[in-house]
Amino acid sequence: MTSETQETVAEARGLAPRDLAAIRERLRTRLEARQLSQRDARPAQRDVLVCAGGGCVSSQSLSIADALEREISATNLDEHARVVRVGCMGLCEAGPLVLVSPDGTYYRKVDEDGVRRIVSEHLAEDRPVEDLEVTWSNGDGTVLRSREIPFFARQVKIALRNCGVIDPLEIDEYITKDGYLALEKALFELTPEQVLEQVHRSGLRGRGGAGFPAGLKWQFVREAEGDEKFVVCNADEGDPGAFMDRSILEGDPHSVIEAMTIAGLVIGSRQGYVYVRAEYPLAIERLGHALQQARDYGLLGQGILGSDFSFDLEIRIGAGAFVCGEETALLHSIEGKRGTPRPRPPFPAQKGLWGKPTLLSNVETWTNVPAIICKGAQWYSSIGSAGSKGTKVFALAGSVRNTGLVEVPMGISLREVVEVIGDGIPSGMPFKAAQSGGPSGGCIPADAADVPIDYESLQELGAIMGSGGLIIMDEGTCMVELARFFLDFLADESCGKCPPCRIGVRVLLNVLDRITKGQGQIEDLEILESLGAHVQQSSLCGLGQTAPNAVLSTLHHFRDEYEAHVFEHRCPAGQCRGLLTYVISPEFCGGCMQCAQACPAKAISGRPKHVHHIDQNLCIHCGSCLNVCPTNGIQAT
Amino acid sequence: MSDAATTDEIRETSGFFGAEQAQITEELPPEIWGKIDDFLESNPGGQERLIPLLHMAQEFVGYLPIPIQEYVADKLGLSPIQVYGVVSFYHFFTTTPRGKHQLKVCMGTACFVRHAQRLIETLEQTLEIDVGGVTEDRLFSLEQVRCLGACGLAPAMMLNDETLGNLTAKALRKRVLRMKSKARREKATQSSETPSD
Repeated sequence: MTSETQETVAEARGLAPRDLAAIRERLRTRLEARQLSQRDARPAQRDVLVCAGGGCVSSQSLSIADALEREISATNLDEHARVVRVGCMGLCEAGPLVLVSPDGTYYRKVDEDGVRRIVSEHLAEDRPVEDLEVTWSNGDGTVLRSREIPFFARQVKIALRNCGVIDPLEIDEYITKDGYLALEKALFELTPEQVLEQVHRSGLRGRGGAGFPAGLKWQFVREAEGDEKFVVCNADEGDPGAFMDRSILEGDPHSVIEAMTIAGLVIGSRQGYVYVRAEYPLAIERLGHALQQARDYGLLGQGILGSDFSFDLEIRIGAGAFVCGEETALLHSIEGKRGTPRPRPPFPAQKGLWGKPTLLSNVETWTNVPAIICKGAQWYSSIGSAGSKGTKVFALAGSVRNTGLVEVPMGISLREVVEVIGDGIPSGMPFKAAQSGGPSGGCIPADAADVPIDYESLQELGAIMGSGGLIIMDEGTCMVELARFFLDFLADESCGKCPPCRIGVRVLLNVLDRITKGQGQIEDLEILESLGAHVQQSSLCGLGQTAPNAVLSTLHHFRDEYEAHVFEHRCPAGQCRGLLTYVISPEFCGGCMQCAQACPAKAISGRPKHVHHIDQNLCIHCGSCLNVCPTNGIQAT
Repeated sequence: MSDAATTDEIRETSGFFGAEQAQITEELPPEIWGKIDDFLESNPGGQERLIPLLHMAQEFVGYLPIPIQEYVADKLGLSPIQVYGVVSFYHFFTTTPRGKHQLKVCMGTACFVRHAQRLIETLEQTLEIDVGGVTEDRLFSLEQVRCLGACGLAPAMMLNDETLGNLTAKALRKRVLRMKSKARREKATQSSETPSD
């Protein structure tokens, strides 16, 4: 912590409410003075923002940040540039990402050499390093750079407004960006009814999956009888392939704290919990740090900002159970029990944590709230489509060039997300389908790519918005194998409480297993359809009720692929190993014996330095030979 | 842990899960009992403290053997089966020791679409263990995990604390074989240095 920050903390402690505005004003003036002292000339000081989101940290961005700091002081530029480690910038594909501000130059895949060039050319001599910049070439030869590229230009950032912009470890930076302004408003300018009215009128719906109107939920808890009430944040982001909640907690933790405090004020709660997955240690660390800073500033705890309202938050760490994303299971887990769901009603709004009324929402829903209170319901509801207001963050992954986090207005078409923002499919194969909503979701086939993405239209397609995982698939992905993958996941994650889910999902998986192994039977497709419908209708919680979605939607949209597996013992995508034939091409085989040694069925014969041969009668189609062959001499068809 | 007698009592009465567990107790770091007591002193409460407490204990010991579960149950006023029920429910908790090198292959959807299954198969063949297993020399343990959030680097995995991205089965096999032979060499040097009797 710098001495300046310590001063601010000391000043802020126990300050009267109005002084937060003074802090904001002073910080902002200082920031402007620093950055714009020579307007239209070169900025007096630059911020070199290094992405410290989960994806970039995995590609060593923290050591790049250290290297930048070393290089900046080695070239005596300390006065002119400072390195800031910020939250996720979104374009994970190009990590480690570095943004030089206020110029707005994004650099991709920065390595040690890139660090030297950014410092010596851009920072020292004002010449952006063009060949390291993030660029996008249009078909007609124009080249767009940095912020202009469609990936950034087409996004509308509300939930991710501060991610990749501010230092998540510095509460001052959040305050400068109008942080805690909404809380001040809620405390001193608006009545709780007026705050509730804003949330209502904004049209905000839960971003965790079901899309329940947030305002209605707040109202239920506010009106519920009880001397004690709780506010809970669901950060148990279990959907494999979605990481927006993690990025928000890592990049902008204060927005969640502020929103939950406002909700506490409206519903009359004094205590909240944030339930975070154990797999997100960085998010837990940064949230913990933010909580402490908020307490130091008098924004959490007794008598918030000098008012008579008290509220505090505690982190609870999950322990790896997908079903804990279900609200009643999550509450059980906070209570220290096995995370199994229970029948609803009563809903948590009436009987939640320890039987008390509980307001539970997911991270992305919470983070929208301060923006709505600051800018007003009307502004928020002007974005999006008729039934789905605002924006949605999607985690774009799979077979798409720009993998990462994108925030787009509701109602945008899938095609625009995949082809423009995502920059298309890298393999050159045609776009086949997108899986939306993770294991509980369904697939959207390429021919429905122009349908606007919102809650209603996705439901019509048999998919769901879910938490926002969007996996793009090309023709190389087998839809039967994809369904098998999700069912395998769900069978493993089923808590076992209700038989339709525990047994039904397992049977669905067994059927898919045999289909992908080429042992499918004629009646299998009917079994999938009828059993799938039963499991949907009779399971206890959302996990079981949505578990058959992946099978039913792929079966609906890609029935021909299922039929090819069952009737022709053929996998059109060439992915199901059990249906492939492995042949050694004589022109590539160097006779190294590695495949013969790896083959568990001893189906490969041949002498050293002579071409080997696979006995198709003995081959068990395991693909082991393919994995070890050093010359790629084994063809699977 | 305030007095040693309680530990011994608990060890003796660990009949609930059978006496064979007692042997493991000898290998447990003795500080663990005190750490559990300290944790509950600074975080008083009942069952709501169970999961955080198990997290702390597993981080310290590496796994959650029955004696620790029984001790925790006793301290929180729960029955051992309630604790065992929680430990066995959550994937994160384990009752078996892990290997020196922990390999965790991401099986999130993005990694799946980019063929993470091949990484698992390769590791299973190279290490001759199944997912969830530990090699006989306790050098490697292999797990599959749900989404490391490194979807942009798919297929990805964790090797101890390091995230490896954009992996190919071949490169991974080479790396693991190198680690294996390095460990073998180290062991050979060690045993030649230790005088045999």
